[in-house]
Amino acid sequence: MGDSISKNLNQNVETLNSIFKDCDDVNYRFIEIGDNNKTEACLVFLDGLIDKHLISEYAIQLLLTNSKGDDSSIISLKSNLLDTLAKESIAVPGVEEAESMDEIVDAILSGETILFVDKASKALILSSRGWPTRGVAEPETETVIRGPRDGFGETLKINMTLVRRRIRDPGLKIKTTKVGRRSKTEVAVMYMEDIVNDKILKEVNKRLDEVDIDSVLDSAMLEHLIEDNYISAFPQMDSTERPDSVAASIYEGRVAILVDNSPFALIVPSTVGTLLQSPEDYYSRWTISTVVRLLRIIGIFLSALAPALYIAITSFHPGLIPTRLTYFLGASRINVPFPAAVEAFLMEITIELLRESGTRIAGPIGSTIGIVGGLIIGQAAVEAGIVSPLMIIIVAITTISGFALPSYELASGLRVWRFILMGLASVLGLYGIMLGIVVLSTHVARLESFGIPFASPYSGLGLQEGDLKDTLVKAPIQKLQLRPVFTFPKNKRRMRKR
Amino acid sequence: MEGKNQISNEQIKALLITTVIGVGILSLPSDVAMILDTGGWVAIVISGLLIIPFIIIINELFKMYPGKSFFQIGEEVINPVVFNLFLGIVLLYIVVSLSYGIRVFAEVIKAYLLETTPTEVIIITMLVAISYIARSQIEVVARMAVMIYPIIIGFIIFLVLVNLPHMDYTNIYPIFNINYKGIPKGIFTTFFSYTGYEILILTFHLSEDRDKSLKYSLRGLFTVMGIYLIIFFITLSQYGIFQLKREIWPSIAIVKEVDLPGYFLENLDGIVMAAWVMVVYGTMGPFLYSSGIVLSNVLKTKIHEVFIPFFLPIIYIIALLPDNLVQVDEIIGPTLNYLALTSIFIIPTIIFISAYIKRRKKA
Repeated sequence: MGDSISKNLNQNVETLNSIFKDCDDVNYRFIEIGDNNKTEACLVFLDGLIDKHLISEYAIQLLLTNSKGDDSSIISLKSNLLDTLAKESIAVPGVEEAESMDEIVDAILSGETILFVDKASKALILSSRGWPTRGVAEPETETVIRGPRDGFGETLKINMTLVRRRIRDPGLKIKTTKVGRRSKTEVAVMYMEDIVNDKILKEVNKRLDEVDIDSVLDSAMLEHLIEDNYISAFPQMDSTERPDSVAASIYEGRVAILVDNSPFALIVPSTVGTLLQSPEDYYSRWTISTVVRLLRIIGIFLSALAPALYIAITSFHPGLIPTRLTYFLGASRINVPFPAAVEAFLMEITIELLRESGTRIAGPIGSTIGIVGGLIIGQAAVEAGIVSPLMIIIVAITTISGFALPSYELASGLRVWRFILMGLASVLGLYGIMLGIVVLSTHVARLESFGIPFASPYSGLGLQEGDLKDTLVKAPIQKLQLRPVFTFPKNKRRMRKR
Repeated sequence: MEGKNQISNEQIKALLITTVIGVGILSLPSDVAMILDTGGWVAIVISGLLIIPFIIIINELFKMYPGKSFFQIGEEVINPVVFNLFLGIVLLYIVVSLSYGIRVFAEVIKAYLLETTPTEVIIITMLVAISYIARSQIEVVARMAVMIYPIIIGFIIFLVLVNLPHMDYTNIYPIFNINYKGIPKGIFTTFFSYTGYEILILTFHLSEDRDKSLKYSLRGLFTVMGIYLIIFFITLSQYGIFQLKREIWPSIAIVKEVDLPGYFLENLDGIVMAAWVMVVYGTMGPFLYSSGIVLSNVLKTKIHEVFIPFFLPIIYIIALLPDNLVQVDEIIGPTLNYLALTSIFIIPTIIFISAYIKRRKKA
């Protein structure tokens, strides 16, 4: 690969041709500029990645007409050709000089247009990125009833703008790096300079630097590469589709990581408390937000424990529940040919299968799956006496509770643990469940997110300083005058009471 | 975040409470009632107050050598061979204490939750679960303590609430009928309900705000004392002195007495047992953790995780040595008391005195 740019235009084109051999999407457009069309020039670009209108109207056309000046301009063309061209004949906002072939190859692949001019030892990079985008659409997963409806798309630049629009402060810093040897995915680290803790920021940059992989296709892949414990079932970063969530987190002193081609931004550090926050909490009144947050905590327990408790109570401790309920339970299970553990596993696996197929298939076939699930699995199984009606209710509660959690990743982690707890309950009953819970909570206590204890504030950090006001409950905004302490912000106060 | 291995004072307090409150709380009321009748609360209070000087001793010791761990201090002030001998006794104490605790735990679980499951299975599963937390770092143990702490408090509030309608307050009288001759023996019994406070030895030098650690640990001690008093008075008022003496584990048995018509759960002991698994976990986790730390310091290494599995079979064997609960209390009980007396009261005091003398000589 030729490192420097040759003065001979044809040789440059030749080099590029050999690099982009069999790459039919690379286009070369030869033009002649200067007085009497004496100088040859060539524009190189990737078809489809550039804004063709911009290049043809404001670069090619102007080059063809403007640069044909009088003799004096030819002299200046010869002495400082590129500078003159850039200043007089190209009306594209961003123009840079390129000195090496590597730089040029990178630029072409990112959607820039390169202008080679004969007898010039440098080339010009005209910023011309423009490709079909989805536009700003409403987020699919984190919808709110009240609040902004714009969501991230697949284009990093647009995503960054969406956040920037909410933070008109020069303190908001955006540092972009490239991750992936081959994919060269752009990754933007966004933070508030005078709030963010330097140690966290340093750790983020360090981990991003350490990533050495050929491609990063989505922020999820990057998340798995830089998180603290990759074996755990639980996410140690927040991921969101909403620019308002990202902006709010940046104001809290957290660091946002945006990845090109991914509509999900990552936010670090994150804790159990932040994973249970939803943007809606801040747009509704504090009373209902508090109730909803407490409900979510109940949701965690139900989602992880409901089937395990069913197994434990029916097979080990029927005496725990009221006698009449025990009779009812016995009567409803009298025709069921399986032990409670088999019954529960059967139904939980069925509902997971239903869910999986429902996620993969949307639209008209999706509704068929709903009917199949509701009618056949639900009603028919009960009527046939294969499962007890109570089991159906348990399965339904479990699934609903999982969906009530704002973080899909957290809910998925609990799904895995649900089966572990069911296994323990089938062997050791309530004692087994408790063993599972203590091990699970120890595991959560061991997790860290960029050095911050993941179980905060329940494990101590920020417990006394009042972080519970915005995690366990949602206090009125007047009572949240300080930023949460788990991020160790440099600037602690966000509001002054008048 | 601000440097590794830092724990806050709130975590120290929670760690103290969860470590001290363990299997002992189940039999404590009947044990003291046996010796002091209705005046048993005096023993609980006095022995709690007797712990204070020991906490102050530990605090002063760390004040003399700021930033150093107990093991570094010990090596410095007394002969390393003697110090390692001391650590050996401490290790023995921890192992016996864990064996005693886990055997009682298994018997209780067997009695209330899993009648047909073999004791061995309960012991093994619990040991495996405990070894998970014991293999973590101290800050994880402390975080876990903060999460268990509200469960203990909730457990006590729950006990008070469900018992309130049935309590016969006349049972607690005569409050001041104190048999003065029995007090020393009563204190000797209740004193060991406060074992576990020695976890402070492993945490004080890691505190984020060293000056306030003493205040918080004393606060934790008083919380423990308050919890013991509440349990004592609840069981006493529920049962009356004569029945209380006959109960083995009155603190759990009272829950069985409660019957709340119209409530969802008929037998509350299941819930209480479930919470109790967490409480025991909060005691044994730190204990097993410290066994690993002590052995790693004897062998002069920094990693304590690798030593934890080594202890499990020993604890298992000792726990199964007695044939039944009576033997547990007859054989392991007294042994444990003497070991505890030596390793957590006498040894720290010796080290403190030697440190003090050494300091004096220098000055």
